Amino acid sequence: MKKTLQVASREILATITTKGFIIGVLITPVIIIASVLIVSKAHLESTPRVVGEVAILDPTSEVVEGVAKFLSPAAFALRRAQDMELVEKNLPASVRTLTLQSGAQTLPDAAKKLLGEVPELHLRKLAETADLKEEKQALLAKQEGPSRRLALVVIHPDAVRHTAGTPEFGAYDLYVREKLDTQVEAEIKTAVRESILAARAKASGMDPKQMEYLTDVPWVQSTRVTQQGEQKAQHEVVAALIPFAFMFLIFISVMTSSQYLMTTTIEEKSSRIAEVLLSAVSPMELMAGKILGQFVVGLMVLLVYLGLGLVAMMSFAMLGLIDGWIIFFLFIFYLSSFFTYAALMAAVGACVNEIREAQSLIMPVMLTLMVPMFLWMPISRDPGSTMALALSMIPPVNSFVMLIRMTSNTPPPLWQVWTSIVLGLGGAYAAVWSSAKIFRVGLLLHGKPPDFRTMLRWIRMA
Amino acid sequence: MQSAVVLKGVTKTFGDKHAVEALDLEIPQGSLCGFIGPNGAGKTTTIRMIMSILFPDQGEITVLDHSSALEAKDRIGYLPEERGLYRKMKVGAFLRYLGRLKGVASARMKSQIPNWLARLDLEGVEGKRCEDLSKGMQQKVQLIATLLSEPELLILDEPFTGLDPVSTRSLRALLVEEQQRGTTILFSTHMMAEAELLCDRVVMIHQGRKVLDQSIAGIRAQYDPRSVLFEPLDPSADMARFQALPSISRIERHNDAYELRLHEGADLARAMRDIAATVAPAMLQVERPSLEDIFVQIVTAGAREGADEAEIRGQAAGANGGRS
Repeated sequence: MKKTLQVASREILATITTKGFIIGVLITPVIIIASVLIVSKAHLESTPRVVGEVAILDPTSEVVEGVAKFLSPAAFALRRAQDMELVEKNLPASVRTLTLQSGAQTLPDAAKKLLGEVPELHLRKLAETADLKEEKQALLAKQEGPSRRLALVVIHPDAVRHTAGTPEFGAYDLYVREKLDTQVEAEIKTAVRESILAARAKASGMDPKQMEYLTDVPWVQSTRVTQQGEQKAQHEVVAALIPFAFMFLIFISVMTSSQYLMTTTIEEKSSRIAEVLLSAVSPMELMAGKILGQFVVGLMVLLVYLGLGLVAMMSFAMLGLIDGWIIFFLFIFYLSSFFTYAALMAAVGACVNEIREAQSLIMPVMLTLMVPMFLWMPISRDPGSTMALALSMIPPVNSFVMLIRMTSNTPPPLWQVWTSIVLGLGGAYAAVWSSAKIFRVGLLLHGKPPDFRTMLRWIRMA
Repeated sequence: MQSAVVLKGVTKTFGDKHAVEALDLEIPQGSLCGFIGPNGAGKTTTIRMIMSILFPDQGEITVLDHSSALEAKDRIGYLPEERGLYRKMKVGAFLRYLGRLKGVASARMKSQIPNWLARLDLEGVEGKRCEDLSKGMQQKVQLIATLLSEPELLILDEPFTGLDPVSTRSLRALLVEEQQRGTTILFSTHMMAEAELLCDRVVMIHQGRKVLDQSIAGIRAQYDPRSVLFEPLDPSADMARFQALPSISRIERHNDAYELRLHEGADLARAMRDIAATVAPAMLQVERPSLEDIFVQIVTAGAREGADEAEIRGQAAGANGGRS
C-alpha cells in the first residue's frame, strides 16, 4: 500500500505541475471568471451623459409631438422608474445584494450606473422645405453641446395615413452620427415607432391608450402543480441545463484524468522506465498507484468546476434548483465512471509505444464517452423512456445517463439509482481486473501494438 | 554454501518460441556470476523471470529464500537491459523516488545520493533534468538507482553495453567492490571477454538451454589449453622442424609469432619442453581457450550434424542490442 501511495503521489505531482494541466484546467476557469468580472465591471461604469439634438422632418406634423414627449428627460425618468419597479418585483434577493454591493446605493442608482445618465436630447423640428442633404451634413459637424446634431429623423408623408388604394403605410428614415450610443439610438427608434403608432390610431379615430391596452399581453410565468402544492416555475432555461451541467462535470473530470493516465503510462513505457519500476513494485501496485493518483487529479478538476458552478448558482439564487443529495451521488458516479475509464485508458497506454498508436484503441472508449453527450437532450426531455432507463443501467455510460435523469424534472426512483450504482461499480471492478492483466503483459512488450483479439487472449491467459 | 537464486526446471515460451527451456540454475550467495550467451539466447527472459516481471510456464524460482522476487524486491537491485528515466524529472528527484520505492529512508538518501553522484563523476547534476544528461551519464544515474538501496542481490542486464572504456573499467571496479561487501551479483552479457575478466562463476545459455555452469577455475581446469604461442629467437629459423613433433597438429603464422596447435590429449608440459628444444624461443606462451572458444566448442559439439562453426562464432560475438 505504501508503494502504491508513493506511485500515486508522483503521478499527482507529475500531472498537476505540467503546463498543460495548469493552463487547461486551472487557469481557464480563472480566465472565465476574470472576464465575466471585467465585463460586468465595465457595464457598471457610468457612461457619460449624451447631450445633443435630434432633428425631425415630419411632413405629417402628427408624429413630432409624440417624439418630443417620449424623448423628454421627464419621460426618460418615468420609464426607468417603471422598469425598476418591474425589476425589483422579480429580482432574486442575492442579485439585489450583489448589485448594491457594486457601489450603488439604491436600485435606481444601480440602474443609472448600468444605463448611464438620462440623455439630454433637444428636438428640433425642421421645416418641410428643409434641404435633406444639408441637414445630413450637420451630422458630420464637429461640435459639442446641445446643438450637436445626433440624429435626423425623416417621417414618410404616408407614415400616418396611407395613400388611397394601398393598405400599407409608409415609415421613416433615420440618419445618425458615426458614433452614437446604441441605447440612445434605440430610444429614438422606439420614440418614433410609438409616436407613429399613436398618430395612426388617432387618425383612425381610436384612442391611442386603448390601442395600447388592446395590443398588450404580458409574458407569463407558468405555475407548476405538484404534490407539495403549486409553485411558480423559475429559471426554466437554467433548470433545463442542469442535467447537462452535471453530466459535463463528470465528463470533463473523467476525460481529463484518464487521458493523463494514458499519457503518463505511454511515457513510462516508451522511456523504458516501466521495467525499472516493476523491479520495485508489482504491476498491480504500479497500476493502482497511477489510477489512484489520477483519481485525485480528476477529483481536483471536479471540485474546481463544481465549486465554480455552485458559486455561480448561489450568486443568482438558483441553488434551490439543486437537491443536496445530488452532490453526493455526483461523487459516487464519478468514482465508478472514473475507475472504469481510467482502467481502460491505462490498458491502452500499456499496449502502445506512442500516442499516435493509441488512436485506434481509444476510439471505442471515446465513443462510449460521447454517447451521453449526444443523447442528453432526448434523455433529459424524457428521462423515463426505455432508452434512458436502459442506458442508465449499462456501464460505463450509466453514470452519465443516471445523472441526467436524476437532475431532470422527473427523477427516477431511488432503487433505480442504487441499481445503477451497483452495476457501475461492478463494471469498474471488471474493467480494473481485465485491464490489470493487459497492463502487466503490455507494459513490457515493444513493437506492433496488439489487436483486440490479442488483448482478450492476454486477459484469459495472465 | 547457500544459494541466492535457485531455478528448477524453468520453462518459458512466447507463442511457438521456446525462450527458456528446462533451466536449472543455482547462484551461490556472494558470488559474481556472469550470465553469458549470444543475443536471443534467453538471458533477459530468465532475468525477468527471476525478478518476477515475467512468470515461468513451468518450474520453480527461489530468490533470497523466497518463492518470488516480489517478496524480496527491496533487497534486490535490478538494472534492466532497456534502461529508462523520467525525462522531465530532475536527477535528484528521480533517485529519491526510486529510493523511496525501494524502502530507503529519506535521511539516508540525503547523504547517499551526493556520495554516489560524486563517486561516478556526476557532481552537480542532481538539479538537472534527466533529459539534459548524455546517454552515458544517464546510464550511471540508473546504476546509482540500482545500488542506492544497498541490495543483497544485484541483477544487471548487459551493464557494460554503451559504456566508454573508462566507465567500463570503473563499473568493473564497482562490481568487485560490491561483491566484497557481500553482495551476490548476477550480470548478463554477450561480451564473453568481460565475463572472463570479472566473474568467479559463469553460466552459459544457448537457445534457451543451459550449456555450461561452472566456476572460472573449473572451466580452466576442464578445458585444456590446445595451443601455444611461439616466437623464434632467430626469425630465419626453420619452423618446419616442428612438424616432426608428435604433439603438434598444426602451425599457423601470426606476423612474427606462430600458433602451434596441439593434438587433443597431448601432454602440455612435455610439448613445451619439446618446442623449446626444437627451436630456440624468444617467447613461448600457453594460449588458454577463451570463453568464446569454449562456447563455440560446446555448441558445435551439441549442434546438429554439419553445423557451421563460423555461424556459431558469429552468434557468440553477437551484435549489440536486441533482447535475449
